[in-house]
Amino acid sequence: MKRPDVQWITVTSSSLSLPEAGTRDGSLIHCSAPYSRQQQPAMLVSCWCLYLGAQRLYRHVLSMASVVQKLITPLFSGTLEPPRNKVTVVGVGQVGMACAVSVLLRDLADELALVDVVEDKLKGEMMDLQHGSLFLKTPKIVSGKDYSVTANSRVVVVTAGVRQQEGESRLNLVQRNVNIFKHIIPQIVRYSPNCILIVVSNPVDVLTYVTWKLSGLPKHRVIGSGTNLDSARFRYLMAERMGIHPSSFNGWILGEHGDSSVPVWSGANVAGVSLQKLNPDIGKDTDKENWKETHKKVVDSAYEVIRLKGYTNWAIGLSVADLTESLMKNLNRVHPVSTMVKGMYGIGDEVYLSLPCVLNSAGVGSVVNMTLTGDEISQLKKSADMLWHIQKDLKDL
Amino acid sequence: MASTKEKLITHVSKEEATGSTNKVTVVGVGMVGMAAAVSILLKGLTDELALVDVMEDKLKGEAMDLQHGSLFLKTHKIVADKDYSVTANSKVVVVTAGARQQEGESRLNLVQRNVNIFKFIIPNIIKYSPNCILLVVSNPVDILTYVAWKLSGLPRNRVIGSGTNLDSARFRQLMGEKLGIHPSSCHAWVIGEHGDSSVPVWSGVNVAGVSLQSLNPDMGTDKDKEDWKSVHKMVVDSAYEVIKLKGYTSWAIGMSVANLCESILRNLRRCHPVSALVKGMHGVNEEVFLSVPCLLGNSGLTDIVQMTLKSDEEKQLKKSAETLWAVQKELTL
Repeated sequence: MKRPDVQWITVTSSSLSLPEAGTRDGSLIHCSAPYSRQQQPAMLVSCWCLYLGAQRLYRHVLSMASVVQKLITPLFSGTLEPPRNKVTVVGVGQVGMACAVSVLLRDLADELALVDVVEDKLKGEMMDLQHGSLFLKTPKIVSGKDYSVTANSRVVVVTAGVRQQEGESRLNLVQRNVNIFKHIIPQIVRYSPNCILIVVSNPVDVLTYVTWKLSGLPKHRVIGSGTNLDSARFRYLMAERMGIHPSSFNGWILGEHGDSSVPVWSGANVAGVSLQKLNPDIGKDTDKENWKETHKKVVDSAYEVIRLKGYTNWAIGLSVADLTESLMKNLNRVHPVSTMVKGMYGIGDEVYLSLPCVLNSAGVGSVVNMTLTGDEISQLKKSADMLWHIQKDLKDL
Repeated sequence: MASTKEKLITHVSKEEATGSTNKVTVVGVGMVGMAAAVSILLKGLTDELALVDVMEDKLKGEAMDLQHGSLFLKTHKIVADKDYSVTANSKVVVVTAGARQQEGESRLNLVQRNVNIFKFIIPNIIKYSPNCILLVVSNPVDILTYVAWKLSGLPRNRVIGSGTNLDSARFRQLMGEKLGIHPSSCHAWVIGEHGDSSVPVWSGVNVAGVSLQSLNPDMGTDKDKEDWKSVHKMVVDSAYEVIKLKGYTSWAIGMSVANLCESILRNLRRCHPVSALVKGMHGVNEEVFLSVPCLLGNSGLTDIVQMTLKSDEEKQLKKSAETLWAVQKELTL
């Protein structure tokens, strides 16, 4: 029961003008002085002095604490886990950036690293991507000339390399790219010894072989983007002719990426209905509907787009993101990518050609044995011979 | 003799296939236009994308490159032409066409060059898509949104400028870096003029509703030990910085445009800081467009959120309005 001659002084936090955050449970600070009326003035003064001193001390402590410290109470102070789904893109040209943006917009990575030798461009591209962080779900985007930024990557996309000069032989182009890859590949493997390498730079089949040799990785962890894009273009063009979506048209282009790619007409189907059964001449010169023309358009597309806009990037970027998705999410989807084919289809040399590969988190889990015609097999062998002819003369692998 | 297609597929529907329901046009296939196009495609926002530009080869090449990626996308129709008839019946038209900032050049410098370009573009867009929503990105965006509004004859809810949506995104990213939190959980609004004189509204900066300014009353002032003011300065400088390093900016603005298109096309009524007609608000008396928090949906910019601004923040807005009007009244439209 309260004594009538006593005054209780209750000091609340709001009257002290202290933010509630200062008292974690927002409780009131009581400072009550149950003294007799006669002693009150002296006690009041002491109390007031105590209060002022306490407030000064509190303010001092509070002013030292930053906004972060006031705002956030850490619960976990150990080292954070390394990224589990890191993707690195080597080379920030048009192709590299298209790959990077496609990977980001598909939410495939929890960390993205960019590497290149041109430092300003590299930093600018990284900043531009970082500024879009609000719209993305990839919390960490890093870049650097030094490969240490690529550490612990699951997938490394290699788009770096030189382009063919006018009149330059393929062998010469390849040798120049070998010299570049000799610098890149060992560094990648040094920092991400468990990664899967996707090689995009051209000529992709040869450079995938080069990458495999320089990396020392087992063959199932080195993939060339190969005919993944050719097949995508093929499916788009065929589907357009049919009036259906490309994903509902199944067709495979295998072998060497480029002029001598092999369209497997026997496999072309919609809803399992083989087009070749409906039109046995499909793909031949005798075909009245000239379906062969569609494959020719695929081969010509790259040149066409380069002629019109100077380079190609969006389609290859999207196709690389598609491969990355299968690898990161362990999907076991089948993609036509460049893999080591020695021992298949009578090929005796160590060359990389595109075949339907089952991709999962280990890389190329397995290869689908397509039933190819004699003619298709001989085309593959011819490509293999030509590739080996270039590869055997490469120095310093 | 039936063709392969006829043998394979039997057409059974007596109806005509309906046209697109949420078509997007991007005018200008430069770096910004293509970044916006790719972001829109990868977010699956539209069933038809049209590209327009004056450079025919580049335009055709870009369209082909995107079409070749169709297998990986859910936008079945990608068209492109110099002629605006390809843009017919668009729901949203993103205008990125125009000259861009050179290194060190301010956005206001680009005005007259871009007004002349807009005099050609805007009427053509309206001719083929009289009910569209215009999203202006070209700089100086606030002035060009005004120009687009005047030239189009559209009501004010159908003409939006990308404004400070990007500035706010950059601010939130930097704020997130400083606090160790994802940008989407860091809330901050940068309003007003897109560019050098944008206004960071410090009172609104918060995480989980906790006002940072209440924790640090000096925030935004020169005596702030943590120098939050420099965060805003970095936002203003970012564009110049990226231009200096890589020649232009593209990815961030592209993603920000897709973010706005998403709200419009999906009728989300989300709140974004975009450039709207602000005459009569915050003491602004001129017919100018400045960024304020707006609700975006399928009728466009339907509502504006009234911010409680400090007097010096309002003063900045008024000053921007005066600067913009001084430029706008000299324009021949």
